[in-house]
Amino acid sequence: MAALVGTSAGRRLKRVLTYGAAVLVLVVTAFPLYGIILTSIQTEPDIRSVDVAFIPTYIETEHYQRIFDEASGIPVAESMVNSLVVALATAFLTVAIAVPAAYALHRMSVPGRRIILGGFAAIYILPTLLFVLPLFIAVVQLGLYDTYIGLVLPYVAFTLPFMVWIMGSFVRAIPVEVEEMARIDGAGLRQLMFRIIIPLLRPGIFAGLLLGFILAWVEFLTPLLFTSDLSILTVTLGLFRSTMDIAIGQLAAATVITALPVILITAIFQRNISEVVTAGVER
Amino acid sequence: MTPQAEVVEVRAGWTRRRGRLVAAAMVAPAVLVVCGVYAYPALSTLAYSVSKIDLSPRFRIEGFVWLRNFINQLTDPHFWQATWITIYFGVMLCLLTVVLSFLIALLLNKTFFGRGLLRVTVLLPWAVPPVASGVLWVQMFHAEFGFLNGLIRAFGGEGGIIWLGGSTIALHSVLITEVWRWIPFATLFILAGLQIVPKSVREAAAIDGAGSWRGFRHVTFPLMLPVVVPVVIFLFVWAMKVFDTIFVLTRGGPTRGTTTLNFLTYRQGFVQFDFGNAAATAYLLSALTVVVIAGLGWMLARSRKLAGM
Repeated sequence: MAALVGTSAGRRLKRVLTYGAAVLVLVVTAFPLYGIILTSIQTEPDIRSVDVAFIPTYIETEHYQRIFDEASGIPVAESMVNSLVVALATAFLTVAIAVPAAYALHRMSVPGRRIILGGFAAIYILPTLLFVLPLFIAVVQLGLYDTYIGLVLPYVAFTLPFMVWIMGSFVRAIPVEVEEMARIDGAGLRQLMFRIIIPLLRPGIFAGLLLGFILAWVEFLTPLLFTSDLSILTVTLGLFRSTMDIAIGQLAAATVITALPVILITAIFQRNISEVVTAGVER
Repeated sequence: MTPQAEVVEVRAGWTRRRGRLVAAAMVAPAVLVVCGVYAYPALSTLAYSVSKIDLSPRFRIEGFVWLRNFINQLTDPHFWQATWITIYFGVMLCLLTVVLSFLIALLLNKTFFGRGLLRVTVLLPWAVPPVASGVLWVQMFHAEFGFLNGLIRAFGGEGGIIWLGGSTIALHSVLITEVWRWIPFATLFILAGLQIVPKSVREAAAIDGAGSWRGFRHVTFPLMLPVVVPVVIFLFVWAMKVFDTIFVLTRGGPTRGTTTLNFLTYRQGFVQFDFGNAAATAYLLSALTVVVIAGLGWMLARSRKLAGM
């Protein structure tokens, strides 16, 4: 700790200001999350009371039990399985397509390299609905409405340009000398990829999988437009559907359940996610 | 660090031509997916935008209508209302998020007890799925037993604000939700940038007699512009695409007060099933986004030159 308590009043004031600001930031960012957790563990009459309680005096788990009940109308457990399947498939497929593409684009000579990279960046700028209007028609005509493929395909495509960009920043971080040494030792492309590049890219691939999973888990527009059947309900759509319900406590519990996996992943792998962002800055 | 210098030809073991072929094969799946899900639909939407489209009983392009769909939009007061709302929303989201994030990043750049905890907490709103954050803020904004009015009452206020009631206040409530969601990303990005600006530069400025504010204004800020402008670009693009939050919080209401161009496209396409006009609106929104981003890109190039990067 470099900051020792200074003798001058000015330094002390600065410290007080720093901690004051820190507490303020903590409260503003965390309060809404705290609020929804609080709502999910209170009884319905207390939630609807005008005297809002900020500190819980008891913990009510009924709402959590209710939302996993078969009778609740929204199959929460099933929707979590659906989202898990779709998100895992999206994450692995996207990374599997993005890694070779990123490597080739940054370390090999690909015809039209600049156009491809530029195109990938430009896509991100355009509104999703520009692509979704004809995709909706295509999904219906191909019989992919209400299917896993009808969700995974758009998810992969929507994540891919961003993923190639991120993988690119990890590929560029690999020193060229390492590859040259391997080549001098007579390694072919396949050996180079599997023995050198992929092991070196492991942190990037891991971050990419996390990101792909999260983006698919939180996706809302695609399932809203491309599915309607309850058997293929995703968590986000299920959460939205439960807003039609009247029980606020259950809605709060469903919100916590939907957000929890992503929050846990983010909190645990905070460093990896920061790495991705930092890689973007250094570019 | 020029891109050309990074591209290494694969020579060992095979000819250059074969290397190019292998490289092309590695890129092909990504390019194919992108063409199938972006290029083809974008062209289809362009075709829709100049067509009369019938959706029932099944999808059929009835005929070519020249620019009628575009003219429909450009002469519709609702379109212009949505345009101004979109621009206002975009500008405010960038402004509020960048200013707040910059302050938080400056704070996190200091050493103090509990900084690690604060870093994780600041990141959390980003991890909340947009739909969940929408539901969560509906709860916060609830006029009767919401936490915001409860908080105002706890501090002695009246607390009778109907956050999602009027069109103007509802727009700002959506704005609050989105700013809260984007502070983590912007803060992380700016913080990473602050850590690149060498401390020695700022210390040199301090020795030269530049005070805290002047040091910030003349040293830190210009050096940070190449970092801040990309954040603004990201945020603006995002603001143009906001959907989930509006859908959950207000459904574009009350009285169209939160209907941005993106939401208008959704309404025309999937509520009114008027794909021709929806396609035209989508292209007009794209044009707006591209123009603004081009301007920001120009600023970025300039700021990089000024910062000597």
